[in-house]
Amino acid sequence: MTTETEPLLDASHVAKSFGAVRALTDASLTLRRGEVVALMGANGAGKSTFVKILTGALRPDSGTFNIKGRPARAGSPAEARRSGLVPVYQEPSLIPDLNVADNLRLGGTPTEPFRRWVAELGIEGLRLTDMIGQLPLATLRIMDLARALASDPDVVLLDEMTAALPTDLVEKVLATMRAQADAGLGVIFISHRFAEIAHLCDRASVLRDGRTVGDLKIEPGVEDRAVELMLGARIDLGSRAPGEAPPPRPAGPPRLRLSGLAAGNKLTDVSFDLHAGEVLGLVALEGQGQDELFATLAGFRRPTGGVYEVDGRAAAFGHPADAIARGVKLVPANRSEALLKERSVRENIALPFSTRMRDWGVLRMAHERARVAEAIARLQIDTRAQGEVQRLSGGNQQKVTIARWLAHGVETLLLFDPTRGIDVRTKRQIYDLVRELAAQGTAVLYYTSELQEVPLACDRTVVLFNGRTVDEISAAEADQETLMRAAYGLSRTRAAGVSA
Amino acid sequence: MKRLMTSTALAAMVMAMAPAAMADTFSIGVSNTVQGNGWREQMICAMRTQARDSGMVDRLVVAHRNTDAAGQLEDLRNLIEAGVDAIVLNPSSPDALNSAIEDALEAGIVVVAVDQGVSADGVYILSNNQEEYAYLGARWLFEHIGGEGTVVYMRGAAGTSADNDRHNGFTRALEAFPGVSVAHEVHTGWQQDRGKQQMLDFLATGIPFDGVWTSGIDNVIVDAFVESGAPLVPIVGADNAGFVSQLLSVEGLEGAAVTNPGSVGGAGITLALQVLQGDAPEDMTVLVDPVLWENVTEEGRAMIEAAQNPNLDPDWPVSVTVPGWTTYTTEEIIACEGPA
Amino acid sequence: MTRVLRSNLWAIGLAVLLLVLLGLTKLIQPSFGFNGLESLARASLPFAFATAAMAVVVIVGGIDLSVGSMMAVCSVTAAVLMTMMGWVPAVAITLLVGLAMGAINGSLIVVTRVPDIVVTLAMLFVWEGVALLILGSPGGTADRALTGMVRGWTGPVPSALLLMLICVFAVWWPLSRSKLGLSIYATGSDEEAAFRSGVAVGRTRVAAYAICGLYCAMGGLSLVMLTGIGEPVPGPYLMASVAAVVLGGVVLGGGRGGMLGPIIGVFVLRIIRTMLTLMGVDPNVTTIVEGSIMVAVVMLGGFIMLRGRKT
Repeated sequence: MTTETEPLLDASHVAKSFGAVRALTDASLTLRRGEVVALMGANGAGKSTFVKILTGALRPDSGTFNIKGRPARAGSPAEARRSGLVPVYQEPSLIPDLNVADNLRLGGTPTEPFRRWVAELGIEGLRLTDMIGQLPLATLRIMDLARALASDPDVVLLDEMTAALPTDLVEKVLATMRAQADAGLGVIFISHRFAEIAHLCDRASVLRDGRTVGDLKIEPGVEDRAVELMLGARIDLGSRAPGEAPPPRPAGPPRLRLSGLAAGNKLTDVSFDLHAGEVLGLVALEGQGQDELFATLAGFRRPTGGVYEVDGRAAAFGHPADAIARGVKLVPANRSEALLKERSVRENIALPFSTRMRDWGVLRMAHERARVAEAIARLQIDTRAQGEVQRLSGGNQQKVTIARWLAHGVETLLLFDPTRGIDVRTKRQIYDLVRELAAQGTAVLYYTSELQEVPLACDRTVVLFNGRTVDEISAAEADQETLMRAAYGLSRTRAAGVSA
Repeated sequence: MKRLMTSTALAAMVMAMAPAAMADTFSIGVSNTVQGNGWREQMICAMRTQARDSGMVDRLVVAHRNTDAAGQLEDLRNLIEAGVDAIVLNPSSPDALNSAIEDALEAGIVVVAVDQGVSADGVYILSNNQEEYAYLGARWLFEHIGGEGTVVYMRGAAGTSADNDRHNGFTRALEAFPGVSVAHEVHTGWQQDRGKQQMLDFLATGIPFDGVWTSGIDNVIVDAFVESGAPLVPIVGADNAGFVSQLLSVEGLEGAAVTNPGSVGGAGITLALQVLQGDAPEDMTVLVDPVLWENVTEEGRAMIEAAQNPNLDPDWPVSVTVPGWTTYTTEEIIACEGPA
Repeated sequence: MTRVLRSNLWAIGLAVLLLVLLGLTKLIQPSFGFNGLESLARASLPFAFATAAMAVVVIVGGIDLSVGSMMAVCSVTAAVLMTMMGWVPAVAITLLVGLAMGAINGSLIVVTRVPDIVVTLAMLFVWEGVALLILGSPGGTADRALTGMVRGWTGPVPSALLLMLICVFAVWWPLSRSKLGLSIYATGSDEEAAFRSGVAVGRTRVAAYAICGLYCAMGGLSLVMLTGIGEPVPGPYLMASVAAVVLGGVVLGGGRGGMLGPIIGVFVLRIIRTMLTLMGVDPNVTTIVEGSIMVAVVMLGGFIMLRGRKT
């Protein structure tokens, strides 16, 4: 490191063990003023342990960690902040039962800079008296970032903070961070989206098995090299070759039929058919009515207008149990809503077997075990952590929520952003799982906040904008630009049926 | 002090006017702070039954719950609000209730404390003599073991005045027998399961002793001996139905039951009605002395047999009446019905 | 603003319920009047302090089962001290003792990481023993000046009520506006987020338990003021305080609720007790009625709040 300026942040040969488990063996990271460095690693590479050390939540066993040439203080995020490093986490760290002003007061954040940053990052109409618990997730993430920037930091660490942000906000965040870096800020950026990393970062530091294995300069074609480093072997990102023909559109009556469906004022006019054996993508920017749509389809709220039919029969569900009884199952975005975290993988996958009351007695072990074992094998779940689901990584947890239906069989599956915050390899496995379910005859509705997933996982996709379905795009045409334009409510080059 | 004098004067005035109300019926309030204990349940039933039997009580308001002195203050004030003519209470503390009692006396209400005393002036006290209770039983035990040896001393609930009074009586007896010493002293809290466990634990240590004095947790102590197969030693308890029947039925058990009738509650109602009718006793304090029933002599066994009643709740004291003070029959108190 | 409004809405609802109950009491017992109000205020005094103590630890996301025992320790401490010295130093020392006991509870929870319910259950027995060591049986004394404070009326307000409100809110009002108060709510609401926001979670918890102890000291003092003596055996304040806290709109689990609601909740529970006594309801039925009313009110409140949020 022969530079005229001293590194802003310099962590070298950091190691950390938990009992017999060596989470980190030799991790290093250097960051200079004005630099944006991506920290990359597959699940289990030690990334989260390294982040905890960088943000002061954990003390390293050995190695050095300096910020601005002085040993960084560890013990708590508050200590790290005093050293000049401010983290922004995947889960917002705002207190749900306090309002905005109280949250700022709690962390000693000055109000005016905060308001300026919130506005700059594209959130309108935020009041200081708003209760955190009642604000949408995307707003909270932006507020977390604004709070970090308002405290005038030397280094900002963004840990998956773009994961559930709608595309427009992601762009705002990336642009702002680039501008701040150019003005002298150091940024550590963690994301599973190569596009974001390529767009924002100068370098990428790659972790594998607790060790820093590479420091890459971001340039065209670096993705392949990064993936190779992360996984230790080359994998194919896309599960379908671009020229592959889309499957023929299924014939016969649709399993779900929606026509002019409305629910409240967020969801006004949704129409599409979903057939057995197909994966229908749903693309929408944040807050276009997708939450309400899934809630209505899964029976959490009643529609207020339009037609909703399951297998040709009207379906105005008053309770999720009604939807489940008609074969419509939801996999929520929040994995903890769908899993019994203290129970084993096997029990979680077997859970739907015992939902019928006549099955409350003795579990049919042999039958169940065979199907569950088959599902686990199919999933390639890391079986070391089979004891409790909560010890699995997020990606593996999500696989369990889907594998459950693979073992049990399901007619209609509603997937709400199933790959949020999951590494590439697991994502690919999830696409495969979804395709396999469809091949079994399941009708899948697949909402995703990542546009490049659409051609990989879906047969065709509908676009939701401002509470209405505005477009339908086949997989072959579903390149990111097309989808993005549609999602923004812009017309495509091809003549679209509806416009916003 | 001035306040005290006024209230006493007021109380005297009220008493002087009381005969005018002779032909009327009265309303009486009851306050008790221990629920779910056989002795206290018998006390409440004795109050109800005596009130009904007297024919002079048209309304009996009962505040009966588990609480402390502050809670009893609240209950007493509620009874004052309810406009009763007399309050019969089992005080949870001798000093703590004085403020509410003074309010009651000022309002012209006759106050009778049963079972335990209070320090406020102008209150009639009718109680079992707790010091004598302990002295009587302890003296019998020490004599019975020949004035030599060690005993297990199983007290009641720490910090209560009855336990303190009994401790004084026990200590007095102990001083009279220099050859006797205490091998082990515990507080049972007047709880059956706790007392039994304490005895099982002590038996397991193998330390020898010659007798047991209990503050009313008695039948489970006999059970502990029988279950652990330990040789029985003389045991002193109260006249709880379970223990009294053990004195007759358990092979090799020598022991004595000291009466501590919960029916003093009924006597308290009688005393309150007497005062309301202008027939106050000369002395403000009336003590009911205990009787000792032992099973080692012929006449002792005869006394115990005479007191047995199969319909009685095993947790209740066997002595269900207080001669001269209660008028109901055993069957009536078992029915436990208050004024219609 | 919404939080303030919401917690106040709950308190206002409870206050209306209290007024209705007072009216009903007057119907049942036409002679119920100023004396009745004054004795209600007095009877509520120890319950109010126990409830304030419990409310603070529940808001921080914990619970303290040793509330009743700490009150007993403070009650005997004060009663014994007043046999030796004037009431002002005795009260000051008692308040410090309460603060210290609470801080010990909190420190044990934070340092040992044993769940609060286990630690405070153990401390329940420890403090009970300490109280009996200080005073083996009810005794000690209370200064006339102190016992006089809770009797009669100060202007249009029962003295006991005035004293309680002053003591509770003299601590709570500045606290709830301080950064510590904010940290207490933050820790109870989401400990992880609070930690990440820079809240010293452990120290906040210890402080909340210390304040709980301080309120317990006030509760113990109120017992001495009411009875004129110190009592080493704890009264029935633990369950009653949890009941009033829940009734008062504080969420078990932490982060939500205020102090006004629980205090009004205390009076609601007390007036129900008074009504049932006046009506001559079978004492064994009384506790069932009390419990049922509590469940009904909390359910109704939850229902109303759910409705309010949807619109």
